[in-house]
Amino acid sequence: MVAIDLAETSVREANERIREAGARGEDVEVLNPDARHHIGVGLTDPITVRVRGSAGYFCAGLTDGPRFEVDNNTGWGLADNMYQGSVVVGGNAGAIAGVAIRGAEVVVKGNLGSRAGQVMKAGTLLCAGNANFMAGYMMYGGRIVILGESGERLGEDMTGGEIYLGGKLHSLGSDAMVTDISRDEIDSVMEFLDRYEIPFKGSLQKVVNAGKNLRYGTTEPTVRSLPFFTFSDDCDYWNRKIQEDIYVKAQIGRYRVRGYGGARSVPHLSDLAFKNDLARLGEEKDPVSKVEMRTLIGGKNGARALDLSMPLMIAPMSYGALSRSAKQAVAIASGLSDIAENTGEGGMSDAQRDAAKQLIFQCLGGRLGWNIHDMRRADGLEIYISQGAKPGFGGQLMAKKVTKELAAIRGIPAGIDLRSPSRHPDILGADDLVIKVEEFREATGYKLPVSVKLGAGRIHDDIKIAVKDGFDFVELDGMQGSTGAGGAEVMEYVGIPTIAAIVAALDALDDIGCRDKIEIVLMGGVRDGIDAVKVLCLGADAAAMGTSAIIAGGCIACMQCHVGQCVTGIATQDPEHEARYKVKAEAQHIHRFLETVRWQIAALTHALGYDHVRRLNRDDLVALTPEAAEITRLPYAPEYREREAALLGKAG
Amino acid sequence: MCGIAGILFKHAEVGLETGKALIDMLDGCQHRGPDSTGFALYGAERADELRLRFFVGEGEAAEDSVRRIKQALAQHQARIIEDQRIGNDYRARVAFRGDVRKFSYAMEHAAPGAKVISIGESLEIVKDVGTAHRVDERYNVHDFAGSHGLGHVRLATESDVKPEAAHPFWATGFADVAIVHNGQITNYWKMRRRLQRRGFEFTTDNDSELIAVYLADKLSQGVPLKEALKMSIDDLDGTFSFLVSTKDEIGYAKDRLAAKPMIMYETDDLIAIASEEVSLNRLFPGQALDTREPPPGSYDTWSRST
Ligand SMILES: Cc1cc2nc3c(=O)[nH]c(=O)nc-3n(C[C@H](O)[C@H](O)[C@H](O)COP(=O)(O)O)c2cc1C
Repeated sequence: MVAIDLAETSVREANERIREAGARGEDVEVLNPDARHHIGVGLTDPITVRVRGSAGYFCAGLTDGPRFEVDNNTGWGLADNMYQGSVVVGGNAGAIAGVAIRGAEVVVKGNLGSRAGQVMKAGTLLCAGNANFMAGYMMYGGRIVILGESGERLGEDMTGGEIYLGGKLHSLGSDAMVTDISRDEIDSVMEFLDRYEIPFKGSLQKVVNAGKNLRYGTTEPTVRSLPFFTFSDDCDYWNRKIQEDIYVKAQIGRYRVRGYGGARSVPHLSDLAFKNDLARLGEEKDPVSKVEMRTLIGGKNGARALDLSMPLMIAPMSYGALSRSAKQAVAIASGLSDIAENTGEGGMSDAQRDAAKQLIFQCLGGRLGWNIHDMRRADGLEIYISQGAKPGFGGQLMAKKVTKELAAIRGIPAGIDLRSPSRHPDILGADDLVIKVEEFREATGYKLPVSVKLGAGRIHDDIKIAVKDGFDFVELDGMQGSTGAGGAEVMEYVGIPTIAAIVAALDALDDIGCRDKIEIVLMGGVRDGIDAVKVLCLGADAAAMGTSAIIAGGCIACMQCHVGQCVTGIATQDPEHEARYKVKAEAQHIHRFLETVRWQIAALTHALGYDHVRRLNRDDLVALTPEAAEITRLPYAPEYREREAALLGKAG
Repeated sequence: MCGIAGILFKHAEVGLETGKALIDMLDGCQHRGPDSTGFALYGAERADELRLRFFVGEGEAAEDSVRRIKQALAQHQARIIEDQRIGNDYRARVAFRGDVRKFSYAMEHAAPGAKVISIGESLEIVKDVGTAHRVDERYNVHDFAGSHGLGHVRLATESDVKPEAAHPFWATGFADVAIVHNGQITNYWKMRRRLQRRGFEFTTDNDSELIAVYLADKLSQGVPLKEALKMSIDDLDGTFSFLVSTKDEIGYAKDRLAAKPMIMYETDDLIAIASEEVSLNRLFPGQALDTREPPPGSYDTWSRST
């Protein structure tokens, strides 16, 4: 047994020692914890950790296997995302105890704070005292046992799992109901109570999801496919798109959910042009060898930086929206081109991990597929706050795509219209976020860069918070970004354009003198190397692409991604459709496309007179429209329009 | 984007290391806001006297502000008993009998470079950029031995972190009422316009000032603090956990969604409330405390024995 005294040891050092003890199979006793945060985070060995006193936030978070015993209380987020293992708390637990657990047994002898068991998937959360507001909020599975009173809105928006209540039921949440309880279920709960030596004599009621709100009442109709570019090419107010939107709404009686992004014209990278005469463009036959493009991202605070062979990344795209095969093809291509891939929502697969040389693992509010083991084998960790196509909203995955296999990976019931939470259970402000970032760093030994994905809205404030909270880089996404499924009005009208986002972000950083403290990867309608160079000129450290990579890999842009019957096998979970997708061949297509991007970046940088992509700057650009000039404060120079048109021919 | 703390010693005879206690509590949750730190402290009160604290800054301009403040005090028949320049502040104890609200508004406009930080018979607010320990070094917070007080640490997102943007906030125009607040009031402008129509002035756009004025207005109408807190939960929209203090009470209110943390520890001698238990534990190192988390939509008050 190892004793660690937190009166003398920092939590960071204590966690290292706990993990070392875990590797040796030795138990640990933590003395004088005094409610400090992150005790035992990231432990994956089946040892016992005894905490002699109270623990703070995220005690036993991001773990798999250990047993924790806490003599007194714990703060927010007890056993956060714990897979196997157990935690027994002698006193009370703060808000969101048992958040996102997937198999763990969490026993709290006192009372629970609000939203206990939020987005939990499997395992048991037991409270011998009273629960509080919204216990079981958005739970997907597992069971919560509350021996005392329920608190208000028990089982609010729960999708799956069961809640057993011994005391008074204050009120039920929306779509929750009381149902019959079987002898077996009672026996199973009693067996659990016996095992943890918790006396209970009363009777239990059972609360489950009432099933009224798991799916939209109506599904999107299949419409004759209209290629996206026809779709967006017309005028802004009455066009075929508007007609189709109305037609769809007339059938389903609610907002439309579709794939791809906003199709209104808003000021964009295409409204900017290069100022210098690019006569030299194309003269140099091998620009790639003449221009330094290697870009390191994420190493500002001592983590191991992502090492990109050019200033480009793949945008996060979920396994769920995309098929496993499509994700694999993108991963292979990213590896071949030696840039970084991103899991997006829905977990990491072995094939993807093996194929991608560098892989960012994304953590979203639903914690769907999130776990400590994949965190460890990632090259970067990313907290999703929002995305450009639908700032303020979570993912949407329609029932057709929520297959048994996919549901099992995410830890949710199959066949529901999955509307992922738009918020994290444990991030309700910058002050909580800082504790969350620290938890990730603790769990992975401070080795991995931690980034934040931000859909551009109030970017002026958001980016400052990102710096203050110690993120290594930001993936900043403008309103031209695409999605696998989103509400149509949100995509068209919510957010700010990509060029406005980068300008606002850099202004804000200058404002607080933190331009060098954080890196920005800009995305949202970056179509090719020309756009990527403009993005770099505007001041981003790298660009990212989603849509272009998918199109390169065979997407026909029919916008039916949400339906789940993608004919190309890209945006589907149906094995029959997916079988059509030729992973190796499409990976080559995507890779080949990425190499054209590399060539364009090199050729343009060279033609602008530089030998390093870092030299690109705002002075290289002019604006072609008054709106773009106003947004970017670049000189308005409409006379460059013709030249820009010629460039498109030349650099393509 | 912050951490809050409050403490009240219930009996005059015990402890009373309020300044020290608040410094420890805020140091414990400084990770929630490293940019600025502030304290609302209550000293001994004397009949017909007010304690004033102004932000004046430093250098020539500060001296000029102090001169102007002194003139304004004289104009309003406030006789200086004792005064001091400390840190960025000008601090004065004055003999004054009259309408505090009118006097406060006049003081707010006494000098263009100065701002009133607090006015009260016993309240003094101390706030500045930096950590709890840094602010203590400049302003000797640890010497404060009053029966109760509040504290706040802040994460700033504005360009340069200004001392006057730090919390706590005083209820502009009302003696002795202070607030620390974690959260965001979403019907801020609506509530503010309502109060402004009734003649109240606001010196910042900060929602904490609004809560303070809102509560102080109720108190001045004779509503007990507890009742005022109850009303605030109905009247204010948004996510909030806040602490309020008056000359002899402290209280809290928490919104119905329970989105912002708060935890408390009570004994026969004291009540301590903070954003995180780690702050409470700073007062009792090595001990496990029997704490509790207030439920959503709840409120309560405690008063010192007089
Ligand atoms: C099919 C698909 C799935 C996506 N899934 C995610 C996701 O899981 N997480 C995320 O942060 N963004 C997701 N996005 C948004 C992209 O990361 C990115 O913001 C957007 O695609 C960038 O714009 P672009 O497509 O114009 O390059 C998805 C986009 C698409 C097209």
